[in-house]
Amino acid sequence: MKASFRQSMAWLHTWSGLIVGWVLFAIFVTGTASYYRPDISRWMRPEFTQVEPVDAAALGATAERAVAHLGQHAAKARTWFIGLPQADKPVLDLFWRTRPGEPPGHVLLDPRTGAEAAVRDTQGGDFLYRFHFELHMPPLWGRWVVGLCAMIMLVALISGIVTHKRIFADFFTFRRDKAPRRSWLDAHNVTGVLALPFHLMITYTGIVTLATFYMPWGVTAAYKGNAQAFFSEASWITTPRPPANRPAALAPVGPMVERALASRPEPLERLMIVNPGDANATVVAVFEEPHGLSHEHPQIAFDGVSGEILEVRDGGLKPAAKTFTVMTGLHEGHFAGLLLRLLFFLCGLMGCAMVATGVVLWSLARLPKAGERPFLGLRLVQALNVGSIAGLPAAVAVYFLANRLLPLDLAGREQWEIRAFFGAWIVAALVPLARPQRRAWCEGLAAVSVLCLAVVAADLLTIPDHPLRLGGGDPLFAWFDAAMLLLAALFALAARKMLRYEAPKRDRARGAKPAPVTAPAASPARPPARRPEPTHA
Amino acid sequence: MTPLVLAANLGLSFAALAALCLSLNRHHAEVFDRKAERAAVLRLRAFGWAAITLSLFVAGLWEGWAFGPVQWIGALTGAALGLVLLLSYRPRYVAPAALAALVAAALPLSILAVSA
Amino acid sequence: MAAQGRTTVRERASVAGRVVLAAGGGYGVAALATALLSLTLPMARSEAVATATLLSFAVMAGIVVLVFSTRTLLRALLTVGGTALVLGALLWLAMGGSRP
Repeated sequence: MKASFRQSMAWLHTWSGLIVGWVLFAIFVTGTASYYRPDISRWMRPEFTQVEPVDAAALGATAERAVAHLGQHAAKARTWFIGLPQADKPVLDLFWRTRPGEPPGHVLLDPRTGAEAAVRDTQGGDFLYRFHFELHMPPLWGRWVVGLCAMIMLVALISGIVTHKRIFADFFTFRRDKAPRRSWLDAHNVTGVLALPFHLMITYTGIVTLATFYMPWGVTAAYKGNAQAFFSEASWITTPRPPANRPAALAPVGPMVERALASRPEPLERLMIVNPGDANATVVAVFEEPHGLSHEHPQIAFDGVSGEILEVRDGGLKPAAKTFTVMTGLHEGHFAGLLLRLLFFLCGLMGCAMVATGVVLWSLARLPKAGERPFLGLRLVQALNVGSIAGLPAAVAVYFLANRLLPLDLAGREQWEIRAFFGAWIVAALVPLARPQRRAWCEGLAAVSVLCLAVVAADLLTIPDHPLRLGGGDPLFAWFDAAMLLLAALFALAARKMLRYEAPKRDRARGAKPAPVTAPAASPARPPARRPEPTHA
Repeated sequence: MTPLVLAANLGLSFAALAALCLSLNRHHAEVFDRKAERAAVLRLRAFGWAAITLSLFVAGLWEGWAFGPVQWIGALTGAALGLVLLLSYRPRYVAPAALAALVAAALPLSILAVSA
Repeated sequence: MAAQGRTTVRERASVAGRVVLAAGGGYGVAALATALLSLTLPMARSEAVATATLLSFAVMAGIVVLVFSTRTLLRALLTVGGTALVLGALLWLAMGGSRP
């Protein structure tokens, strides 16, 4: 489209990156946070740290309690999902769907009594996790939007690689003391190139996690659109059984749970009861993933009426089906231990930084010359940049803050936390429209820093057995608050940089040139002529 | 086991990337204030690629060939980020830090080798 | 992007056309290729579907890059349209289109 392939790709990279940049940033931030979804969920439900975990021997009786509750409150549902108590979530997590269009039911139960658990009403880390691929829109819409963004991200990565002329020569180059455009381009390149394997992996595998949703045409052609048949033939799920439409009593699930537990070393994660009350009822016991890259839950299907084992699913996937689950597994990173998870998290942060520097770079490359007025599009992009790069972290911090500060008995508390999230984000996106650029950046970044500190303060004040108050308690709170403090420091540093560095920029860059103070290596090894200003930024 | 292997991977990756980085004229000059000699460049590159390869084998042998490569790339990315930051803020520390990383990698490596 | 702010209507139309072609044509070709490979790859049915679905997004990315790198919009249109036609015809054959 342009004169050369590289120029076309530079154009494509610039514009594809810009139009989805802000959404991508949100996807990256919430996705990166989701590496710690269980920890965030646990932090947001401090009551959990008070509950003793249920030992395996009592799990059968616990499952019976869940079934009793569901039989009473969800007798008409087609499928019951029973999340069994785990070490980090020591309650029964019940979920059911009655028919399409009706909102699903959801409740947490105390595993010992079967009564509703005394836990604050919150979505915890699940909100960030679902936002990551549904953007809090109706699921179908959200997933298509995220899929489109992911596809454009893939294209932006490919075109970015083509555009980047000196991937190897500039591999380590980050000249933070040069003109802003140069340092931002370096930062964009460095965060993009150093974590390139991660970026490519996370983008492609992200699309693959919803592949049969985005690209159902293979299933349509080969299975007449019956996705369940494909999944079971690929050995991902146990064979689905249609309802017989004859009523029959569900056999006690306790013995099934015990039989399942005895047959495998992994902990039992959840039960899925399909068509309860029907003669063809099926109880599927789903285990945690065994240690491995691949996202595969071993499963045992029981006949819900006789209690006999129908089918055992345990590995043995064919190569392509296995590739699928390995890609999903890589995306979710469930396998990663403490340190590796930290590295994944860092890579995620580099992804956030890559997107953020990318959209900032677009606006830097279009700054008006002295005396010119900034055009409307530039103002809008600049404001949106602040609104997303500072606004989204601020919104997440407000979400955490709301979790600690909203009254525990507030009706619809869970929704209020989410409203706080969006309220904060909307404010953070609107304010920069009315403020001068640099001021908006400073204020936005400083606000995030203050909000992170506020989260720590609120945590300390509202958690009576916070480890920093008693020296005991769950170390999770201390870790979470330490992470918040670190974020607060980072954003404070960024705000300070923005305040100090940007303002006298033009003069300083000009003044620093002859003096080799900032660049001790202005040596013959670096002919400046070889580094022309980038054409694509 | 895993933390030891990861520590070895991180140390090796950092030393390797630092060597590759110092084999580039621009960064060599930033760190040592002079151009790199041809022989030194070749030595640094040979060491760098060798250490990256060694790191892959360490990861693969102890973590298996499924986890190994993932951990290897993860360690390379983490080390590279650390290196770029160090190079940008304290270029003089790059060479000592690389040596320290090499020593730091040798310790877990020897523990792993003995226990194997 | 030197000519920014002086974009002609013609250029705008060309860009809009490419966006439509890349999105629609890219997805269309990827979908056709997925369906075709699902039916024709010489492996178990579930494996063929899994392989084809996994590859489809790379196919789509390839088409998008192609559309934006081709010199003229017409040529891009002909390439994508031609590919889609060939794939469609093969798919028709694979689905037993010749049978009565």
